[in-house]
Amino acid sequence: MHIFVVEDEPVIRRELKALLENAMYQVTAPDVFADIAVQIIESRPDLVLLDVNLPEASGFDICTRIREETEVPVIFLTSRTDSMDELTGILKGGDDYITKPYQAPLLLARIGAVLKRTKGGKDKESTQFTRRGVTLDISGCRLIFQGQSTELTKNEMKLLHLLFLRSGEFVSRMDLVEYLWENQIFIDDNTLSVHVTRIREKLKNIGVSDLIETKRGMGYRV
Amino acid sequence: MTVKNFLKDRFLLLILHIVCMCLLTVFLRLTGYGMAAAALILIFWALILTVGLCAAYIQRRGYFREVEEILEKVDQRYLLGELLPDSFRLEDRLYREMICRSNKSVIERIRQIEDAQRAYKEYIESWVHEAKAPITSIGLVCANGRKQAGEKEAPAGAKEALQTIALENQRLENYVDMVLYYARSEQVWKDYLIQETDIEEVVYETLEKNRLLMIQNRVRAEVNCKEHVYTDRKWIGFILNQMLLNSVKYKSSHPVFHINTERNKDGVLLILGDNGVGILPEELSRIFEKGFTGSNGRDYGRSTGMGLYLCRKLCDKLGIGLRAESEYGGGTRMILEFPISNYINRS
Repeated sequence: MHIFVVEDEPVIRRELKALLENAMYQVTAPDVFADIAVQIIESRPDLVLLDVNLPEASGFDICTRIREETEVPVIFLTSRTDSMDELTGILKGGDDYITKPYQAPLLLARIGAVLKRTKGGKDKESTQFTRRGVTLDISGCRLIFQGQSTELTKNEMKLLHLLFLRSGEFVSRMDLVEYLWENQIFIDDNTLSVHVTRIREKLKNIGVSDLIETKRGMGYRV
Repeated sequence: MTVKNFLKDRFLLLILHIVCMCLLTVFLRLTGYGMAAAALILIFWALILTVGLCAAYIQRRGYFREVEEILEKVDQRYLLGELLPDSFRLEDRLYREMICRSNKSVIERIRQIEDAQRAYKEYIESWVHEAKAPITSIGLVCANGRKQAGEKEAPAGAKEALQTIALENQRLENYVDMVLYYARSEQVWKDYLIQETDIEEVVYETLEKNRLLMIQNRVRAEVNCKEHVYTDRKWIGFILNQMLLNSVKYKSSHPVFHINTERNKDGVLLILGDNGVGILPEELSRIFEKGFTGSNGRDYGRSTGMGLYLCRKLCDKLGIGLRAESEYGGGTRMILEFPISNYINRS
C-alpha cells in the first residue's frame, strides 16, 4: 500500500512518515509543493493524506484538481476544526476528515477503514496463529490444541491476539492494556491479571500447561 | 409625570404669578379701584393661568408618554436620540441634539470594543490552530518513540519519559481545546453540524484518546451505548472529554466508569457514572458555575472551574439537558438528555 503525504510542517511530516512506515505502508512525503497535484497523480498512490493549509495552494483546491484525474481516496488532515471546513472537505471529494492533534492509533484506524472501504478489504489478515502446537483461531474465537478446543471471550481473544502477534518476546502489561483500550476493551491492570488467569485455566482444560510465561516486571510471553 | 410633580416643576412660575397678583391688587387699591374689580381681575387671571397650565401639562404628558413608548419598543435603547419625536419646544430640541451627540460617542465606543473583541477572538482561534501543529508533532514523536523503545533496547526510563511527555501533551491539548470552545461558545450556530451520531463511537473515541491517562490511573470502563442521537459530534466529544477528565481527577482507589444510554419517552439519556469521591450536597447545585472549584477542586488541586461551566454552556446552546447526581463519597452521575423532536423521530 502506497500512501502519499502532503504536509508542510517538517516535524509532523517526518514523524508521520515514520509512523506509517512502521505500520508497513510505503510512504512518499515530498517537501516541495509546487505542482503537488501533478506529483500525486504521477506517483499513483493508494491513498493521499492531505493537509488543508499549505503554503502554495489550499488542500481543497488540490483535492479538486486530483479528482479531475483519479478516484484515489483522500483524507484531509487539518488543524482547523470548523464544521464548514469539514463540509467543504467532504464536498470537494474527500473520503475522511481528521483534525489535529490526532492520535496515532486513531489515525491508523481511519486510514485502514478508508483503504478497506475503497479497496474492498484486499489485505486479509491471517486469522490463525500457531505457537507450540496451540492454534489461536481468530474467526472462530477459540483455542485449539491437539483436536481439543476451548471457546474464548472477546477480551481473552484480543489479549491472546497481541501475544501471538508478538510471540517470542515479552509484552509488557502496559502494552497489553493499551492494546486492549485501542480495541474498545477498557480494563485495568487487575482485570488483566484475572483474564490471564482465566486463559491459563482454559488452556489447562485442553491440556496445555505452560503456553503463557510470566516474567516479573517484564510482562507475558507466548 | 404626575400633576404634583408638574406643579413642583412650575413652582417659580406660580410664585411669580402670585407675587404679580399681590402687586396688582396693591396697585389697584392705591389707584382707587374697589375690591370687587380687583377680585374679578384676579379670578380671570387665575382661570387663564390654570387653563394654560393644564394645556401645558397635557402636552408634556403626551410627549413623554410617546418617548416612553419608543423606549419600550426599541431593543437598543442607546439609539433614543435618533428616535425622539419632533417638538416645537427649544428645550426639547436642544436636549435631543445633546442626546444624539452622546449616543454617537456611545456607539463609537461600542464599535471599538466590538472590533477589539472580534480581533482578539480571531487571534485566539488562529493561535489555537497554530498551537495544534506542535502538539500534533509532540504526540507523533511520542507515539513513534514509545514504539521504538518497545522494540529495541532503549535507555532505561526512556519509554516512561515519553509516556509522561505524551500525557502532559494531552493535558495541554485539552486546555487549548477549552480556550477554543470558550471563544466559540457564544456563536455556536456558526459552527455546528447536526447529524445522526452514534454515541458509542464518540465514547470509544474519547476513551481511546485518553487511554494513557486512564490506564495510568487504573480505570476500568464499561460502555453500553446503543442509542443514536441527532447532535454535533465534535461538541459532544468535547463535553464527554471534560466529564471523563473530571471522573479521573476525582477518582476513588479502584475507579470504575459506567457509560450507558437509556431511552425514555422524551429523549435519550447518556449517563456517565463513576465511583469517585462524589460532590458535597451543598455544592452540587453550583458545580456548573463559572469559576466554581468547590472543596474537591481545592483538595485535589488544579481545578479551573471552567470545564463543567463550558459543558453546561455548550449543552444549553445545543439544547441538551445536563444535570448531575452525586452521593458524597459514593460517586457521581452526569446525565445528558438529548430531546427527540417529533418531526425528526423516524419511528
